[in-house]
Amino acid sequence: MASLYERLGGAPAMEAAVDIFYRKVLTDDRISRFFEDVDMDRQAAKQKAFLTMVTGGPAHYTGLDMRKGHAHLVAQGLNDDHFDAVVELLAGTLTELGADANDIAEVGALANSVRDDVLNREPVKG
Amino acid sequence: MITFEGRSIALQPGQTVLAGLEADGVAVETSCRAGVCQSCLMQVTGGAPTKRAQQGLSAAQVAQGLFMPCVCTPEGDMTVARAGHAHQRVETEVHSLDPLSETVLRVRLRPLAAFAWRPGQFLRLITHDGLVRSYSIASTPEQGPLVELHVRMLPGGRMSGRLKDATSPGDRLTVSGPSGGCTYDGVAPDQPLILAGAGTGLAPLWGVLHDALARGHQGPITLYHGALNAAGLYLEDELRQLAARHANFVYRPCLMDRGEDLIATVKADPALKSAGIFLCGDGPLVERLRKTLFLAGARLADIRADAFAAAA
Repeated sequence: MASLYERLGGAPAMEAAVDIFYRKVLTDDRISRFFEDVDMDRQAAKQKAFLTMVTGGPAHYTGLDMRKGHAHLVAQGLNDDHFDAVVELLAGTLTELGADANDIAEVGALANSVRDDVLNREPVKG
Repeated sequence: MITFEGRSIALQPGQTVLAGLEADGVAVETSCRAGVCQSCLMQVTGGAPTKRAQQGLSAAQVAQGLFMPCVCTPEGDMTVARAGHAHQRVETEVHSLDPLSETVLRVRLRPLAAFAWRPGQFLRLITHDGLVRSYSIASTPEQGPLVELHVRMLPGGRMSGRLKDATSPGDRLTVSGPSGGCTYDGVAPDQPLILAGAGTGLAPLWGVLHDALARGHQGPITLYHGALNAAGLYLEDELRQLAARHANFVYRPCLMDRGEDLIATVKADPALKSAGIFLCGDGPLVERLRKTLFLAGARLADIRADAFAAAA
């Protein structure tokens, strides 16, 4: 079956997805501070890469990339609550783009698989 | 074969430009390595990147020769540079210096060697003793060979003081560049255009406006020029005349002392959500404009910005 990335329309669709997702994170009091004071074009490109990855498009991130890319945010207090907020806004974005509940569950699982790397901690044992 | 900073690097069959550079010990900032995040963006100065290597980039980025080396498996030889490092240095002769207002000096330079630019890009002006400042280009090459800059007279400004008091027509100045993607390239002819800026942010907007009109732009164009008071405006008569001659062009000064806030006024533009948007001026103003307009519904990919950094 085609990936959600392909069903949403591939690279061109990610452009619209970034506009929706980025507006959501910038106006969400829980997490907006992690997205302010950065170059908006660079930030948008990173979000496009993120949305591409979680919808099953082409991306070659490693766990180490995730750790390095978020270490400065963890130092500023990034935690599970913030991560959950991002996943929630991600689900809202994909719903607006026409994804169904199964798609969103799948994307949520994919996002959760990188949670420990993003938050720079060892996976919880047991 | 690729050439980078003067050295030649042979690529293995199927090897990307990024992999070739890294195998040769070149450190490149990377993230997704899949042609999406643009972390590793580079500039081509000879040869051509593959189509895939520019997929997803803006028309302005493509016009500058930017490409993503992580997904570029070249079909022929290429010369590449780090983005923003591929500048030509050209000698120019000062053609004229004339005041546009009490605080803005128009400087026109005649390049003494080939110098290709698009209006809205910026260049670095370099004096013979090494003083460097960046200025946006207001003229279009189709109008003639002169490069026009609008220089703000800053109290204690070293370059602006030098230009005003110690520079004459016929003097030589070096320029390097051009840089920047704040140009008309990539705008659809019927797309509404919003040009907004303050102070000498008018320079690139003036250039883009003339480029758009000369290329027969059909969509409505509104130019918002913000200033503290009427003394902060310049080229006002010329802009009013242009508006009288072109039915699709509106000139809209926004004066703080009359209670007209530039950001609020631009935000209320009815074409915001579909417009090509150009934002030019001091860094903090441009970043506030960009965020406000984006949150009000403007498409991020349709916003081109040139944020100035002031230096004494």
